[in-house]
Amino acid sequence: MDKNLPSDHFEVTVPKIEHQQSVLLIYRLLVGLVAAGFVWFIWPYVSNVLLIIVFAFLFTTVLLSSVDGLERKIHSRGISVLLITVTVLAGIGIFIGSFISQLSSQAADFSSRVDPTTLTAEFKSLGERFMAALPGFASNMVSSGGDFASTLSSFVNSVVENLAALAGAVTSFMLNAAMILIFTIILLAEYHSFRKTLVGYISNKYFEVALKLIFNIEKSVSSYLRGQFLSAASVAAMSVIGLLILNLTGANLTLIVFIGIIAGLANLIPLVGPFVGMVPAILIAFMNNLGSEVSVAHMLFGVVPSPFYIFDIILMFIVVQQIEGNLITPTLVGKSVGLHPMLVMIALIIGGTILGPLGMLFSVPATGVLKVIGQEIAFVRKNAHLL
Amino acid sequence: MKNAIWPNLFQGWNRTESETVYTLKQVPVFKGFSKREFNELEQLVHHRSYAAEDYVFKNRAPGEGMYIIMKGTVKITIGTRSGNESVLAELTDGDFFGELALFDDEPRSANAIATTDSELIGFFTADLLSLQDRHPELANKILFNLGGILGERLRSTNHLLMEAQGVKDDG
Repeated sequence: MDKNLPSDHFEVTVPKIEHQQSVLLIYRLLVGLVAAGFVWFIWPYVSNVLLIIVFAFLFTTVLLSSVDGLERKIHSRGISVLLITVTVLAGIGIFIGSFISQLSSQAADFSSRVDPTTLTAEFKSLGERFMAALPGFASNMVSSGGDFASTLSSFVNSVVENLAALAGAVTSFMLNAAMILIFTIILLAEYHSFRKTLVGYISNKYFEVALKLIFNIEKSVSSYLRGQFLSAASVAAMSVIGLLILNLTGANLTLIVFIGIIAGLANLIPLVGPFVGMVPAILIAFMNNLGSEVSVAHMLFGVVPSPFYIFDIILMFIVVQQIEGNLITPTLVGKSVGLHPMLVMIALIIGGTILGPLGMLFSVPATGVLKVIGQEIAFVRKNAHLL
Repeated sequence: MKNAIWPNLFQGWNRTESETVYTLKQVPVFKGFSKREFNELEQLVHHRSYAAEDYVFKNRAPGEGMYIIMKGTVKITIGTRSGNESVLAELTDGDFFGELALFDDEPRSANAIATTDSELIGFFTADLLSLQDRHPELANKILFNLGGILGERLRSTNHLLMEAQGVKDDG
């Protein structure tokens, strides 16, 4: 303390500082409330754009290393971006196109084999046989009013009614996808100069640490997303092998590969993904074996009734999930972002509400990104006294 | 009347190198770079402005890379400005400092303070790693040059040590 100051200086200063701190706290609280109100007001107008930017950023992060690698070979950023984008789009296009054509030929085959007029009767007898095959306690648990045939018919009706809504959703999805594609191309082409411009606005005091923060975020996000895709690829490969070993679905090899890829992609959605991944395989097995007495009477391990090999398929997918979760992912991916299951569920609900299945697919990686950003900012705050 | 079309049409054709490239050319870390490589580097480096008496970085702060002085003067110090400050070096246009941070995660070992309004060029670990991904030959040149500079410093430190210990240098 300064020797020239009066002795009561310290006593006067302390209440003054406390008063200043409480004023600052109230000021911050007010600013926070105003900011929250502003976000609440503008959110409906900007949410779509923000989500497009988030998705474009995620795609950029996944593809950036490929573009950088190609640029190293051909020494042209523009051509690298073009080649990678065209390859990815062609891959997606070929996959979706072939899948739809395979599925429609499968459906055509299905409808040619099954007489539409007797389909309801077939479903009814199938329902009865299924109930009879169930153990007593299980059949008691199924509501007697739940007529299998009428439930299926009403389901088909609701699907037809929802086709118009589906068309609207598809249009909106295509528009969003086109915007995400454009944003991704721009981000990929300009990524490094964009990052340089961004850090240019940061004050000298925080500049170096911000640069490191961005670098760490890029590294973590990139390895997290790459890990996710690696585990998806492993699930796809194992599902294909599993289905080939089972070879009970009656589907051809191309369709099995598609089912495997869908299972792999669905695996990217935590919690619900693995179940969603089983659906196409079960559906195809059902379509291919409808009317076959052998498949309806099939017993898994000769004990558990497994009509249309449904439980065989479920068991195979459970085995695949276990191998992926306990063996492949820990080896290939290592320590991932590690989100709490509760947080994963909240992220899934928010993503699903905003963007449907696509939102569910990307909400968890996006939450992972936010967690990495939060961790890095916490580290900077802890070490701020050194800056 | 003088025709303005031709000078405008060929505007920029006889463009001289930028101030950034001119400064980078003076730095031994970028020795052996071609004109194209200097242009690549120019896209990567960061320009920072500091007022007189501003800290560029503080002792013990996390270090991320090196700075090259484009304009102005910077002093390297240890201690605090309140009294026990000791100036280790005064640097000016074309000089560089902080290059050790490109190699390790150790904190800064001294303060760097601008003594006049200064314009610096920053080149950081993140940039070097990015360069390694996209243009590994450039990154290799930088690392090779940095290795040479550090080797030279080690030799002169050894020489000083031997002098201090009174050992005769036969080399």
